[in-house]
Amino acid sequence: MMTTLLIQALVTGLILGALYGLIGCSLTIIYGTMRIVNFSHGEFVVAGCFAVLMFFTATGLHPLLSIPLVFVAFFLVGMCLYYLFVPRLNRGDDPEVASFLTFYGVSLMAGAILLYFFQADTRSLNYVFTPSVYKIGHVFIPTAHIVALATGVAIIAALTWFLYRTIYGKALRAAIMNRDAIQIVGVNINTLSALAFGLAIAIAASTGVLLALVFPAFGPFSGMDYTLVGFVVIVLGGLGHPIGAIIGGIVFGIAEQVAIVFLPQSLSQAVGFIILIAAITLRPSGLFGKVALR
Amino acid sequence: MLDVQSLRKVFGGLVAVDTISFDVPENSILGLIGVNGSGKTTIMNCINGIYDATEGVINFRGTNLVGKKPYEIARLGIGRTFQVPRLFRRLTLTENLMVPVLEDSRSNVELTEKANALLAEVDLYRIRDNHAEELSGGQQKLVELLRVMMLDPDLILLDEPFAGVHPNLCKVFLEQILKLKDAGKSFILVSHDLTSVYSLSEHLLVLNQGQKIAEGNAADIQHNPDVIEAFLGR
Repeated sequence: MMTTLLIQALVTGLILGALYGLIGCSLTIIYGTMRIVNFSHGEFVVAGCFAVLMFFTATGLHPLLSIPLVFVAFFLVGMCLYYLFVPRLNRGDDPEVASFLTFYGVSLMAGAILLYFFQADTRSLNYVFTPSVYKIGHVFIPTAHIVALATGVAIIAALTWFLYRTIYGKALRAAIMNRDAIQIVGVNINTLSALAFGLAIAIAASTGVLLALVFPAFGPFSGMDYTLVGFVVIVLGGLGHPIGAIIGGIVFGIAEQVAIVFLPQSLSQAVGFIILIAAITLRPSGLFGKVALR
Repeated sequence: MLDVQSLRKVFGGLVAVDTISFDVPENSILGLIGVNGSGKTTIMNCINGIYDATEGVINFRGTNLVGKKPYEIARLGIGRTFQVPRLFRRLTLTENLMVPVLEDSRSNVELTEKANALLAEVDLYRIRDNHAEELSGGQQKLVELLRVMMLDPDLILLDEPFAGVHPNLCKVFLEQILKLKDAGKSFILVSHDLTSVYSLSEHLLVLNQGQKIAEGNAADIQHNPDVIEAFLGR
């Protein structure tokens, strides 16, 4: 019985972890490229949940079909946000602290906007997959989880291809490695950073679409939870390591789900953060700081 | 080509560069020498836009560079290497060379061929797929110079290119500088290796505590009592 529960927890942890990893990956692209602490990141994940809800309610089409629309719309939102705030923040002496405060403000504003349009009640995406659950051995896996994992893996694969195979992706990684050097070799860091910001917000919102499939309910106040998960994941994976963040997300997701099975609920929520503190203490560069594929 | 007039850079109460003027003619090498903290690197940083000059004018072929961003200055035709190379350490050598030409209209194949040809010239083609962090310090400096060459600049600022570099690699570096000079490029060379600076530079500028204390050719400088005092003390 315990073995079945453990396998169930591992599978669910892997699925949720991949999605947490996407949140962390997008957050670390912003931090790595421009040293901006985007404290409003979770709000864009939640906005993605509401976007797919609106899409499904309005069209009745399969929720996954909303992803291209959500991606493009939030890419543009991210670009606008970038040009509105970041160049000004970067002119200051301490952009990290200033960005933390600014984007905390953006987080509050985004939360208020979501509250205004969708009220405080939690919502659900009432799309039913057929069959709703697959049984593999003694383990039950909801179809929605499998679909979310497959789509999440596809997004990770596309992102990895972009970062490692395209010249703009390589330039983005170069900017993460050495922000000063990339300007000296003639690259407009402002344009590149705006692209990175747009991409990160688009990934966050697209992840929100997948989370709306996985979680039974979401509300306008869930954003801060996802932001915290994002920060835990990027510290676990190693700051500025997009692929390390995905691995960190999977570690966090599995730890969280296994803890839910074996520990009282009040304690299980703390396990991910205990791992974070242990990682900071024992390996400040993150679990994969040395070997992560940057 | 480059005309610097009354350049002044102040950090808080510290005057790092104090009203210095000089020019770099086409197809020439200007040597900047001085003890540590004399302002050599600060001048380089002002020219390529890392620092904004507090006062003065830096004219490059009719364009005032003061207030321009580093990427704009790079695109105008000024390249720069650093005392501690600033490569993208987890990119391959070829990828490092491809980053500057991100927005170049030429095809990827053509640009890759150019990058690989540059690497072949200094015998680094065989390790073109290695990450930059796997190279020695001297090799990294060479790759940094090649990365500058991808934009085909007319003026190249070299900050301590020979410091900590194996003599064999120094020779390769010197050959590259002379070859580029033959191709019409100009240089500003900052180095503590006075032998190399004296042999390469047509004109030298000696700095001490942010001020110009002497200028001229190598023979003038070597016998200048102010220079001797600044380097060796009384």
